[in-house]
Amino acid sequence: MTAPYRLPPFAAAVTGVGLVTSAGVGAEATWRALNDPATAPCVPHRDELQGLPCDFMYSVTGLDTRAVLGVAAHRLMDRFSHLAVIAAREAVADAGLDPAVWDSGRVAVVIGSAHGGLPFYDEQHIALTERGARRVSPKLAPLAVVNGAASSVATDLGARGPSQAVSTACSSGTVAIGTAHQMLRTGACDIVVAGGAESVCSRLLIASACRLKAVSTRIDDPRAACRPFDTHRDGFVIGEGAGLLVMERPEHARARGAAVRAHVAGYGSSSDAYSAVAPDPDGLGIERALRTALADAGIAAADIGHVNAHGTSTVSNDLIETVMLRRVLGEHPLVTSTKAMTGHTLGAAGGIETALTVLALQHQLVPPTANLDAPDPDIPVDVVSKEARPAALAAAVKTSLGFGGHNAALVLTR
Amino acid sequence: MSMSTADEISTLLTANFGTDPVAIRPDVPLRQLRLDSLALEELRLLIEDRLDVDLDDVQLTSRDTVGQLVDAVQRKAVA
Repeated sequence: MTAPYRLPPFAAAVTGVGLVTSAGVGAEATWRALNDPATAPCVPHRDELQGLPCDFMYSVTGLDTRAVLGVAAHRLMDRFSHLAVIAAREAVADAGLDPAVWDSGRVAVVIGSAHGGLPFYDEQHIALTERGARRVSPKLAPLAVVNGAASSVATDLGARGPSQAVSTACSSGTVAIGTAHQMLRTGACDIVVAGGAESVCSRLLIASACRLKAVSTRIDDPRAACRPFDTHRDGFVIGEGAGLLVMERPEHARARGAAVRAHVAGYGSSSDAYSAVAPDPDGLGIERALRTALADAGIAAADIGHVNAHGTSTVSNDLIETVMLRRVLGEHPLVTSTKAMTGHTLGAAGGIETALTVLALQHQLVPPTANLDAPDPDIPVDVVSKEARPAALAAAVKTSLGFGGHNAALVLTR
Repeated sequence: MSMSTADEISTLLTANFGTDPVAIRPDVPLRQLRLDSLALEELRLLIEDRLDVDLDDVQLTSRDTVGQLVDAVQRKAVA
């Protein structure tokens, strides 16, 4: 068998980061909270979820999206798009780019989302059944679609290059960044705003997730409910948010003298072809994605100092994923799951967590996995808990696994 | 004292579409207020809910003026 064909390594420059999460609004606020979990906002129970076995989620608080975006723009977007546009504006400003003067046809947008405007569908289905077809909002069809965030961001920024959505369940944000890496590599654009956005305070979805026994039912202590790698973990907590990067062809970033926070150096994806829900029990699918990403970057496992894991806080994911990480990377990388603070933001997770990996490389600091009080002895990797750990990090990995067996991995370098 | 139909529509436009209240005059076409076909259908539902009228058979286009919209709503309100 011949070796797989590979392009020469290509490191896309990350010049901007934008984050809107339940841990904080803005990259700096999110980063600060992650590294000091005691300061995390409280987790309110949600009226929309009343009576369900899980009646809470990690929601974005302290953000008046209508005031930030203005009434006219706000009404033409679903909430997941509101969060995406706010994160995109932050990322673009952070990159020092001015949409008024950039070559707009060379700017692309790639945003992942698993569910788009699902809560709007919930609401309008109730309108349909209770009040009839004439009471259904005309905005549902154009705004609640999964590509809503990509089109809203492109419109808001005036980005007129390729614009697309990626939907691969919980790996959508990671696949979006991988797709952006490939677009830059081929020269399809010079700049990409890429990542993920999600907001699914949906009674319908969470009822289903409860029936699936995928979400934590620790309703007496929501803040402690998401506890990746802990012996007493009992499922994920749904979160909402957006995480976007500004990525550029390296020569483009260099030519304008941009400050480079990190690089996206390699990408790999794979399918388990195994189950609609469960990951391959041996982690072979995510292993293929990770090995592909390492080869794509031309980086050895020994050089990976940190992994921002998928780490959902489900019994099976955390074990399968960490056994795979130990097998591929060894025992030295510092592993964390930031979902304990942000919740599982589904299609946004890969965008948020890749942005946090960029910040970890930049600050040479690995944030702790919150709520890890009783580490599961079967988890065979070095999980950072309690306090952030300083480290000399040259390269890091982000892994994501999605329902349906959609796996993705990114390799990032300084 | 209850608000006039024109005032009600003006309030809906300002609150839901961010329309400048100064720009809302009887002779102004709706398209000049940036109300496209999507916005008009949204506005139709808002007016129906707010004023308890049925505008189902009212033809609305963005070429209509604010005054024509107000007249149409008033006709339905007294029908």
